[in-house]
Amino acid sequence: MNLDRRRFVGSAAGMAATAGVAADCLWPKHSVSYRRPRSLVAILNAAEYSEKTEALLMDGLRLFRFSLRGKTVLLKPNLVEDLPEPVNTNANIIGAATHCFLRLGATRVVIGEGPGHQRDTELVVDAADLKPHLADRRIEFVDLNRDELARVKLKANYSGLGELWLPRTVLDSDFVVSMPKVKTHHWAGVTLSLKNMFGVVPGMKYGWPKNLLHWHGIHESILDICATVPIHFVIADGITAMEGNGPLQGTARELGRIVLADDPVAADATCARLMGFDPHRVQHLSEGGRFLGNLRADRITMLAERIEGPIRPFAVLPEFHYLLARTVL
Amino acid sequence: MMSRGLLKSAGALPDNGQDMPAAEMEADFQRAAHTDCVANFLTELLLKRQLRSGGWSFLGSRQSSIEATSLAVLALGLGAHARLSGIAHLLDSQRPDGGWPAFVGDSESCWATALALCALNATGDFDPARKKALHWLDAERGREAHWLWRWKFRTVDRNVHFDPDKYGWPWGPGAASWVIPTAFSIIAIKQYTVCNRDDVSEQRIRVGIEMLLDRACVGGGWNSGNSVVYGVSLRPHVETTAIALLALQDEERSPAVCTGLAWLRNRAASIESAESLAWCILSLFVYREPVEQLKRVLAMKVGEGLGVQNVATVATALLALKCGEIIHPFVVLR
Repeated sequence: MNLDRRRFVGSAAGMAATAGVAADCLWPKHSVSYRRPRSLVAILNAAEYSEKTEALLMDGLRLFRFSLRGKTVLLKPNLVEDLPEPVNTNANIIGAATHCFLRLGATRVVIGEGPGHQRDTELVVDAADLKPHLADRRIEFVDLNRDELARVKLKANYSGLGELWLPRTVLDSDFVVSMPKVKTHHWAGVTLSLKNMFGVVPGMKYGWPKNLLHWHGIHESILDICATVPIHFVIADGITAMEGNGPLQGTARELGRIVLADDPVAADATCARLMGFDPHRVQHLSEGGRFLGNLRADRITMLAERIEGPIRPFAVLPEFHYLLARTVL
Repeated sequence: MMSRGLLKSAGALPDNGQDMPAAEMEADFQRAAHTDCVANFLTELLLKRQLRSGGWSFLGSRQSSIEATSLAVLALGLGAHARLSGIAHLLDSQRPDGGWPAFVGDSESCWATALALCALNATGDFDPARKKALHWLDAERGREAHWLWRWKFRTVDRNVHFDPDKYGWPWGPGAASWVIPTAFSIIAIKQYTVCNRDDVSEQRIRVGIEMLLDRACVGGGWNSGNSVVYGVSLRPHVETTAIALLALQDEERSPAVCTGLAWLRNRAASIESAESLAWCILSLFVYREPVEQLKRVLAMKVGEGLGVQNVATVATALLALKCGEIIHPFVVLR
């Protein structure tokens, strides 16, 4: 057979791609798929944290028409350190969300977090100003770093971890709501609803920080955790976001948005677009788009505001310039 | 409530009490009595929270945590039945490799081995179990200690500023060295080898100390493990700083120790949580810093224990309130 070099390279690439697809079919890396034909996202405009947040959030949540009657809802905010805004998910939004979910019929709302850096969870809860929101007896805070644990086989195998010990509070919840702070991240590029789930991994077993996950690959661990603990809903705090050297030492960026979604990949893809990033270039989003949810804009129905340009991209460390979208919309 | 005489003989009231104005004396008496009452209440709380197995869990579950159990054992008085059953539980849960898991049911030994060894060190007994724990700690090291990773961190991966030749102990297998597990491991080994030093342990202590000094934050104190990331200095944490200083208590007063101590001393008055304040008191005490006022603040914060859910915090607060009255559980006498 007489092949020229271009045809040979083309054929080799085609064969490699075919082999990759075949390998995925024979040895799939995930045993679950949460991706539906379409996902719903609502971008809410909010210039500041105020007493109006609850009404705004309630209007936004009603667009999704879900039933929570009799269910236990777990709110998983991003509470990392005892540092001021914009490191942690704002307590104003967390408090508003607890009241909204109770009004929507939830029997109980649990706020659960296992801070990844600060071992003293009380300091973090205090700094986040969360205590005033815990007065209602139907609202409880659980330190996921020190909760009872159960060994769970992971439903995806990107990290090679195979299994993790996970908190009972998380496993027993009926409806998991990831509530990230919209931030850049100096290891993962972005930290949004999927990366936020690192916080369900218990410090009492995996330490402060949960360093084993870093050694097994941050993106890979995110995919495995989110395959195993499905996120039912996302409320992303993007009113005051963080750019630059996130997740702790970046600078505040007034984005003025709350993003709601019934699909974590669609939520994160939308947040990434609002940040001026191409979501396909975030490794865990790109791969997560195959089974955790919808990444492509044409599979996402916008219920409220649209992403309107031009967008001023978030500042990133030089290592993450590749995330910036060529055409930002 | 204890009598004024008893408080005075216990050192809770100053000897020159007769020179103080009556109102001030009365206030001091009330505060000391309150501290004492809170300590009693925390003891009762620990006794109530003990599991049938003899161990303790952090929050309300029946899953015994080695950290919570070790701290509770240390906090309960000598001879208390609950303490003895706690020690028996620790001995039962030691793994064949000599280490302890984070909680009963887990099958991997981890950093909690150091705390369990401290708890057994306080008894002066159970030498075979302690010796096995020492061997496990001698062999355990952070993943960056491997030559390949040391090479990587020295050459291509320089975003985190640290010297990879200086390693300590990880939280668990397969992870890098971090400050708290390293500090507790150093304390436990130093305590156990007071009278029987060996080369392997001494070498591990030395490298561990070097690691702690290398990882100190730029302005003093310690973060969880790193000092500078992407060129930005990390801020210290109270608990981590206090525990690192405990491990360095008998070392030379190097600049890292002095600035760390100064940072903790300055921060002490504004600590808002019971857990961090308790560790701060335990640490400042071994450096002979005044802690009585901090103990009173802690007693006020803990109150009657209603706000403290975490058994490890209850036990640490109790240890801090008893500082000066009992042998310090993390003191190193070498």
